[in-house]
Amino acid sequence: MIEIKGLSKSFGDLTAVNDINLSVPKGEFFVILGPNAAGKTTTIKVMAGLMKPTSGSVHVCGHNIESEPLKARKRMAYLPDFPFLYDKLTPIEFFRFTGQLFGMSESHIQNESDSLSDRFSLGEFLSNPIESLSHGTKQRVAIVSALMHAPEVFVLDEPMVGLDPHHARILKDILRERANQGMTVFVSTHQLSVAEEMADRIGIMNQGKIVAVGSHSELQAANHDNKLESIFLSLTLKTDGRN
Amino acid sequence: MDEIKQISHWRLLFKVNQIQNWRRLQSAVSSSRLHAFLMGLFVVGYAWLAFQLFSKGLHFTSSFPGLGPVLIERMIFLLFAFLFFLLLLSNVIINFTNLFRNRETHFLLTLPVSHQVIFRWKIFESGILASWAFLFLVTPLLIAYGETYNSTWHFYLVTPLFIGMFVILPGVLGSCVALFLARWLDRLAFQVAAMLVIILVIVFISSWLQPEIVTDEMLETRVLDVVDRLLARTQFSLFPFLPSYWVSSGITQWIEGAVMGALFFGLVLLSHTLFFGYIATTRSGSMFFSSLSAVNSRGRKASLWCITNTKKNGQLDFKPKLLDRLAKLFWWWSKSDSRALIVKDTLTFWRDTTQWGQSLVLLGLLVAYIMNLRYFSHRLTSDFWVDLTSYLNLGACALNLATLTTRFVFPQISLEGKRIWIIGMAPLGMKRTLMTKFLFSTAISMIVTMALVGASCMMLSVSAERMLYFILAIGVMAFALNALALGLGALYPNFREDNPSKIVSGFGGTLCLVLSFLYIVGMVGLMAFTSFWAFGGSSSLVFVFGCLGFLIVSFFLGWFPLRNGIHRMSSIEV
Repeated sequence: MIEIKGLSKSFGDLTAVNDINLSVPKGEFFVILGPNAAGKTTTIKVMAGLMKPTSGSVHVCGHNIESEPLKARKRMAYLPDFPFLYDKLTPIEFFRFTGQLFGMSESHIQNESDSLSDRFSLGEFLSNPIESLSHGTKQRVAIVSALMHAPEVFVLDEPMVGLDPHHARILKDILRERANQGMTVFVSTHQLSVAEEMADRIGIMNQGKIVAVGSHSELQAANHDNKLESIFLSLTLKTDGRN
Repeated sequence: MDEIKQISHWRLLFKVNQIQNWRRLQSAVSSSRLHAFLMGLFVVGYAWLAFQLFSKGLHFTSSFPGLGPVLIERMIFLLFAFLFFLLLLSNVIINFTNLFRNRETHFLLTLPVSHQVIFRWKIFESGILASWAFLFLVTPLLIAYGETYNSTWHFYLVTPLFIGMFVILPGVLGSCVALFLARWLDRLAFQVAAMLVIILVIVFISSWLQPEIVTDEMLETRVLDVVDRLLARTQFSLFPFLPSYWVSSGITQWIEGAVMGALFFGLVLLSHTLFFGYIATTRSGSMFFSSLSAVNSRGRKASLWCITNTKKNGQLDFKPKLLDRLAKLFWWWSKSDSRALIVKDTLTFWRDTTQWGQSLVLLGLLVAYIMNLRYFSHRLTSDFWVDLTSYLNLGACALNLATLTTRFVFPQISLEGKRIWIIGMAPLGMKRTLMTKFLFSTAISMIVTMALVGASCMMLSVSAERMLYFILAIGVMAFALNALALGLGALYPNFREDNPSKIVSGFGGTLCLVLSFLYIVGMVGLMAFTSFWAFGGSSSLVFVFGCLGFLIVSFFLGWFPLRNGIHRMSSIEV
């Protein structure tokens, strides 16, 4: 579902992502961890089609994100840490807009937005202007609009920011359900608990490279450590030269 | 069974943004009906006043047998030539921010919307933002032009078509230039190129507008020859490859009844609009994405005028830099937190190339204006014209000041964005934040405009006491206009927008421009009519009352919005 081959991305003299290779199969819940400026968001931005890679390629659902961006983006969804929403629209109008951009029928938009809005307790806010909503509620609106078209690949950058524990739980449950149904989930987060609890596989990035990848138990075995936190710290501090 | 009805993405974007803008307008109207009424009044009042002025001016000019129609025609050509270049510049700047620094653009890039559709939508949006003021300006002029020549009804139907096509061309070209600049010029190269272009333009304009030596004998006996020589300076507006030439020729020929000639120019305009419009709207998507990716991938290189070196032997250097020392030198009486705010604002402004690029363009135009006043003043023989020119000069300088305050001071609070709480929560507090911003922008404006008025008065050979009077007057105006702009900026903040051009084109920005304009026209008029020396001279009592009136209006015009702005910011919830 996601194939990253020899991906590098430079900003002037700075190499933010340095020749990474990664394959995330269908239905996998993949969590990428890393310290600040490790290159996670840059990798995600290239995957989402927001910038061209310096070298290498990203394929989403078999489509090269550079040469076939529309085909790739039609089958995926991207949720940034601070999503853009049209502030004067109501959530219903925003759902209709994004649904129509994905070519969904009116009844399909209504069914999907109704059921997802129910799960995220958005009912009472659906007719209010988005500008009047709290940050967490806006985040929930963005999640619903991203999930409505049933993407095959869902890329999320720090999705738990602003969500209360109740709705964070709902999001995790939905992502798990969808992953079980075949959706590939690619999450970047600083919350190690999310990785421990949800991930089928975990990737740890540092200084533009993936320094470790595997399931939680594989990482534990490889690093002779039971706690993800200490594995994370040892891997990132070691290559960072800060130990 | 509900069928999937595929709606074009462009139409969807148009609809969503239409709803957004309509609701913004509704909320602006409902939040203050008085302001909305004042705005409506200004729009209608401006249109009416401009029409009256243009009509009177055109009737006056056309009354010169033989010469009038020639002069009017050349003025139309000149107007459209200048407006073409201004529209082009405006489109480049707005397209740059709208294409590459816009959150909606980045949002759309992650959806199944083609790069081409995003680019098409953005140049449409930028074109409207860049051109609405142009349409507002030329409409009364063209109606007055039609009225002066008793044109037929179809002139008023055909002219909007010409103008519509004309507006599209700089919009399309501006977007192409923005793509080119973003793709090929990094910040340093852009800064150097911008400086060179501005210097070249100033040198070119200064050498181009040299005075014509005309003797009294020539004025009496060889009028046509003199007019010919003067018009030769405006020959560039007749360059047949300029779109302004096509639109001017089309309009002037239509009014003369030369329908075939007008149609020819209409078709020339149409073919170019279609050709370039087609390329931009159907073939530029991939170039747009390449440029956007280039902008997003650019390294943070040191700029040419990097005022704060951050590294020394690999370590961060926190010692005071040049700007800190300057702030301490000129702002010695203030606390260090106020100085920190000033340094931050200056650096932010300095590092945004489009911001100071626009300031330089304005200053360049002012330098060219002042240099040419020197030649102009030699032609003024009667006291009436000397007096009139000196007050018009004050008005021109004040209008420039109003442009600067509306464009750069008004968006100051909005540009702080959601980060405003960082300053608001600091011991500095909102009140001192606003006051520091106000005093700093007023000090800078005063230095620039007082020097400007002083230089222009010298060029006009105005006596020393009158020069002092005009300098003090512009100083007071700087206080009032800065307070007005900052106060209204705090009363009508737009924390969601990063683009200063869009912030300024909102309700608050327009209100600021309108009030500034009315204030300047009113105060310059008041000072002229109550002047002690000009236009026959008033009594000293009238003069004193005039000065008092000016001071009181200036104080309240600045104080009310600033005070309310401070109250608003103190209770703001972001």
